[in-house]
Amino acid sequence: MEIQNIKLPVQFRVLPNGPLKAIGKFTILDENGKKIEISDEAYFCRCGASKTKPFCDGSHKSKLG
Amino acid sequence: MMDSSDRDYSNEEITVSWRPGKCVHSTVCYRELIEVFNPRKRPWVNMNGASTERIIEIVNKCPTEALSFKWKDESKNSSLNDKSNKLNKASESASQTGVKPVIVQVMRDGPLVVQGSFEVYNSEGKLLKTMLMTSFCRCGYSNNAPFCDGFHRKIGFKSDK
Repeated sequence: MEIQNIKLPVQFRVLPNGPLKAIGKFTILDENGKKIEISDEAYFCRCGASKTKPFCDGSHKSKLG
Repeated sequence: MMDSSDRDYSNEEITVSWRPGKCVHSTVCYRELIEVFNPRKRPWVNMNGASTERIIEIVNKCPTEALSFKWKDESKNSSLNDKSNKLNKASESASQTGVKPVIVQVMRDGPLVVQGSFEVYNSEGKLLKTMLMTSFCRCGYSNNAPFCDGFHRKIGFKSDK
């Protein structure tokens, strides 16, 4: 049996009424095209209210009530 | 497949077709050629804004089938690479080799534009699709969440606030 390439692709998971969770190896470029250093996980703001964009800071909870 | 929101724009040499349903708001067209592709203007495509060669160059950079073109001189169209074929081949080869590195580009006052091999799961944890390119809404107002539908422009989303 051939050995399959088991490297998993990056996953983007929509969290209910919350951020977009990214899992895996990926590169983030900020609005100026500069690399943002992260580990293998990031939570991206989806509501527009975060003070730490592009990442989630939990602001959606107060925005959505 | 044609959609009622599809539009054609022509100059003397070519017709550019716009299929909004296919657009992932990568913003490549207007970042590179605002003289022709200006989402704030109506019509948003101005075929007199640049040379035919330059317009073709940018249409070919569109990562989806949202922008395509045809020569008015039919005999030239036989040599055109069908973009949908190219895209299908791209996704095939990606699924065979498994992985293309993923880049998440944060767009000012706009979405997250993601390129590479990746999977998208919905809020119930179900795999929605495996993709090579998309854009995710950051403003909270997309009618096509989690994907961008361009609505951030209408609400004046500012990503530095």
